[in-house]
Amino acid sequence: MEILLIPFLFALIALVVPSNFMRQFSLVGSLVSLVAACIRVSSFDSTKFEAITSEHVTNFGLTFKMGYDGMSLFMIILTNVITFLILLSNYNRELSSNRTFTSLVFFMQAALLGVFASFDGLLFYIFWELTLIPVFLIALWFGAPGNKAALMKFFIYTFVGSLAMLLSLFAIKSSAASFSHADLMAVELTAKSAYWIFGGFFIAFAIKIPLFPFHMWQPDTYTTSPMAGTMLLSALMLKMALYGMIRWMIPLAPEALAEMTYPVVVLGIIGVVYAGVLAIKQNDIKRLFAFASISHVGLIAAGAVLINHDNWTAVFIQMGNHSLVAVGLFLAADIIEQRSGKRTLSDLGGIAKVAPRFAFMFGALVLASISVPLSSGFIGEFLLLKGVFSYNWMIGAIAGTTLIVGAVYTLRAYQLSMYGAPKPAPFADLRPNEWLAFLIIMLLIVSFGVFPQSIINFVGPSVNNLIESINNTLVN
Amino acid sequence: MSVEQLIPIIIAIPLVVGIINGIYGRNLSKKIAGSIATIAVFASFFLALTVFFQLDESVRINLFTIMKLENFSLNAGLLVDNLSIWMVLIITGVGALIHLFSMGYMSHDEGYYKFFTYLNLFIFAMLILVLGSNYFMLFFGWEGVGICSYLLIGFHYSDAQKGMLNGLAARKAFIMNRVGDLGLLIGLFLILAHFGTLEYTELYKKVIADSIPLNAPFIVGITICLFIGATGKSAQIPLFTWLPDAMAGPTPVSALIHAATMVTAGIFLVVRSNFMFDYAPITQDIMLYIGLATSIVAAFIAMRQNDIKKVLAYSTVSQLGLLFVALGMGAYTAAMFHVTTHAFFKALLFLGSGSVIHAMSDEQDIRKMGGLKKYIPTTHFTFLIGTLAISGFPLLSGFYSKDEILGHAFEHSPMIYFILMLSVTMTALYMFRMYFIVFHGKFRGTHDQEHHLHESPKNMTIPLVILAVLSVFGGILNLPGIFLKKGTHWMSNFFAHNTNGIKVVHEHMESGTTLALMVIAVLVCLGALAVSYVVYVKKSNLPVEDKDLKGWEKVSANKLYFDEIYHFLFVRPIEWLSIKGHQFIELFILNGIVNVSTKSIEMTGNLVKKMQTGKTDWYILWMVFGIVGFVIYYLLNF
Repeated sequence: MEILLIPFLFALIALVVPSNFMRQFSLVGSLVSLVAACIRVSSFDSTKFEAITSEHVTNFGLTFKMGYDGMSLFMIILTNVITFLILLSNYNRELSSNRTFTSLVFFMQAALLGVFASFDGLLFYIFWELTLIPVFLIALWFGAPGNKAALMKFFIYTFVGSLAMLLSLFAIKSSAASFSHADLMAVELTAKSAYWIFGGFFIAFAIKIPLFPFHMWQPDTYTTSPMAGTMLLSALMLKMALYGMIRWMIPLAPEALAEMTYPVVVLGIIGVVYAGVLAIKQNDIKRLFAFASISHVGLIAAGAVLINHDNWTAVFIQMGNHSLVAVGLFLAADIIEQRSGKRTLSDLGGIAKVAPRFAFMFGALVLASISVPLSSGFIGEFLLLKGVFSYNWMIGAIAGTTLIVGAVYTLRAYQLSMYGAPKPAPFADLRPNEWLAFLIIMLLIVSFGVFPQSIINFVGPSVNNLIESINNTLVN
Repeated sequence: MSVEQLIPIIIAIPLVVGIINGIYGRNLSKKIAGSIATIAVFASFFLALTVFFQLDESVRINLFTIMKLENFSLNAGLLVDNLSIWMVLIITGVGALIHLFSMGYMSHDEGYYKFFTYLNLFIFAMLILVLGSNYFMLFFGWEGVGICSYLLIGFHYSDAQKGMLNGLAARKAFIMNRVGDLGLLIGLFLILAHFGTLEYTELYKKVIADSIPLNAPFIVGITICLFIGATGKSAQIPLFTWLPDAMAGPTPVSALIHAATMVTAGIFLVVRSNFMFDYAPITQDIMLYIGLATSIVAAFIAMRQNDIKKVLAYSTVSQLGLLFVALGMGAYTAAMFHVTTHAFFKALLFLGSGSVIHAMSDEQDIRKMGGLKKYIPTTHFTFLIGTLAISGFPLLSGFYSKDEILGHAFEHSPMIYFILMLSVTMTALYMFRMYFIVFHGKFRGTHDQEHHLHESPKNMTIPLVILAVLSVFGGILNLPGIFLKKGTHWMSNFFAHNTNGIKVVHEHMESGTTLALMVIAVLVCLGALAVSYVVYVKKSNLPVEDKDLKGWEKVSANKLYFDEIYHFLFVRPIEWLSIKGHQFIELFILNGIVNVSTKSIEMTGNLVKKMQTGKTDWYILWMVFGIVGFVIYYLLNF
């Protein structure tokens, strides 16, 4: 229980902490959560489910069932690590001493942890909706002026998606004893109702990820949010949806998979190619990374519906990789924007010469984002492409073009901003907190790149359990 | 120490030193940073030599399990056999000499420690590539050398004039390589799908055990995908245009990566996979003709290049084409022999050109050189040896290795032999042309340059001399059987001893034919020498300005317009798609649909709003309409 309560408590305390202690407070707060989660790891058996609430059923079927298995705990730790990294990157920004902002970040963290620890459908939905509020307010209050239209779009989009998911949940609950994960899974569906239920979840998740063509809210929202907001959206919020696919959408309506796998994979891969091609000529570096994100997650989403042990494990490896890379890239984009006042590639150039440390770290991240050996992306992308390829070799080959296109847009962005003769305007090199954030990101990326087995051992058994129980419901 | 202990150390040394230099290098003096990097590669080389002498049977080493999934697992394994240890000797041997050379060549550069970090990491990745025991390790190294190549081509990215261009060349190289990499990756997936393993040894057993029909679709698919990977790394048509641009990197990089080692990775891949290629004669033919075309095209372009490094770059592409011809004929040992001698003399030529550029204060245009032989005698002499070796001058290394491939070609088909001879002739012509223009005649540079002309320091000339000696005597490694009874074909037997699938293939020609072919080769070489001497020294014809070129010379100088064609066919359409896709699909269609739906909601709202007038009589009217509607609906349904 403490893993959920700590961030929530910090969110409340943050409202009264004097603002000159706020930065230190925020770092300490996120570290405490991280440590609490790590303590849980030390006594964790990855084959088992560990409950953190006592179950009691209310009369409309809400069970309050919360807990974690390997997959959930992986996401919980990821959330805590990324929250820490976000606050660390933010340390020298103006926002870091703002009470409301810090409180909202902790609130967001608490809601995300709730999403990953919920084993009750209604609870999952409540936390899912709860995450929307802090990130929306962060973007609204602290984002670029005049981003109301973009945010409105974001809000309506995700809200419509959530409603679809809620309908699906109620539909399946109508023939289940309670909202608990196990009860919902046990429901046998006819193929037709399975499509509707699958479809409801899918719309919610496809919008959140976002998958092509549900991504219209994403580029504007990413570019107009403050750095921390963009990081929360790309590094954590979209992972809820990928996680949701694996934990909720597929186990609840596996009957629909036979027909739905193909369209989802195709949409994912269209997104990979489409967003990749569009990213090539983007002139706004944040927007470019926004499209890059759509391109990268398309492949993960495709892997999420190709249900087998290898692919799902790869999804988790790649989710971790994408979160780390996204935080790093958006930090780099923000550093460029803050220091030079510009985001357009055609106005940038020559930064490498004046800020060598930044150039090194940004360069290393760029390489990680195009999945070079020793980075976790190398393993994750290899496994996911292998999975898609063995599903359908032609789609796999098309998905593989991300190797080429990804290199084109990422290297272009890096070279146009960093290479060439330095511009006369000054550009301060990395501050210690930024340097540390980059360093932690790189260390994690490399360690997962060399020892992916650590993630595999962590999530593997619970992936197996889930697949096994899905197969059981399908057979019965 | 045993092989099992030595090989990991050989790989680890450059990695560890590279990391040390990368982290602490900025605090070290140039001398120390360069020295430890160089010593590291020398150390690896000497350890590799001890392995070479004690290796008899192939050895497999399992380092650790990278990952173990349900249906799939990967080992960080190493396979040491005669093929891989030979590649290790080339990589670390030539690599060490080039490191030594770089200590002098890069001495004025700011990013000195970074340069050596990248070089060391390159050596590490290359060693993984050749020593890996499965295709995943190969792919790991393959991508790794690609990154190092990218970093080193774009090394001078902050240069005021050329920084962006260097970056562009690096990007082009990386992206073209990635096209090939995709082919290789798909090849790997196909292998996995059909054989369920990526380990060479197990794969070899399975391939041999299955009686695969010749040209079975899947084996053709696998081999073609692997070959596509090879065309990227080894710069074959259609993916060769990155290599000449890669000359934007510092010259030692061109010598190490773009001549001696990385570009032969494609050859290594095919030789390593020889047992699969043997079942796919279609792929072998494709390989043969692609190699042949590349060899001719690149040699033709090299005829009228005036940048000293570009000539060598196209020469490399042409020689790689020759190697693929050999692979296409199944002459794997002949190909490996030429890989070896080519590493010697092409590294020599590149380092020689580096020494020339160093002396000429960074001038690369051969039209501005001339008469350099009296200013830089050591460079001149070694460069001459390199030129003679690559042109097939009798008894130098290139003569033997090239002759073996030509012999196979003649036996395969006289037509192929003839076309190949054309390429060989052009090679001799452009090499002698360059040699005479650079080193003979009068000096044509500026006064400043003439004032600065100097022979390079010892750490640059010693590698030149060593490579020159190897270029002269390298042929001994695989002497043809025509003159001698004993000690011939050492290298062919060496590879056939314990490398999966490799057999000794000799051409079966009468000694008269062999002799005749040899005589023809010698005549061609000497003829080219004489013609070039007359044209460029006796008549001192100098290359003209680019705009005055006519006919075939213009086509050659403009590189057969490959870049322009690719730009038109690929770059522009994709950029067009990117821009129009954004304008049309993203903003017009998709955003349009969203806007239309919001608009329609707004309109519905406006309509509904009108009904809420607050007047009771209207409400009653709507109610009546509603009731009537329900009644009609009810009636219609019954």
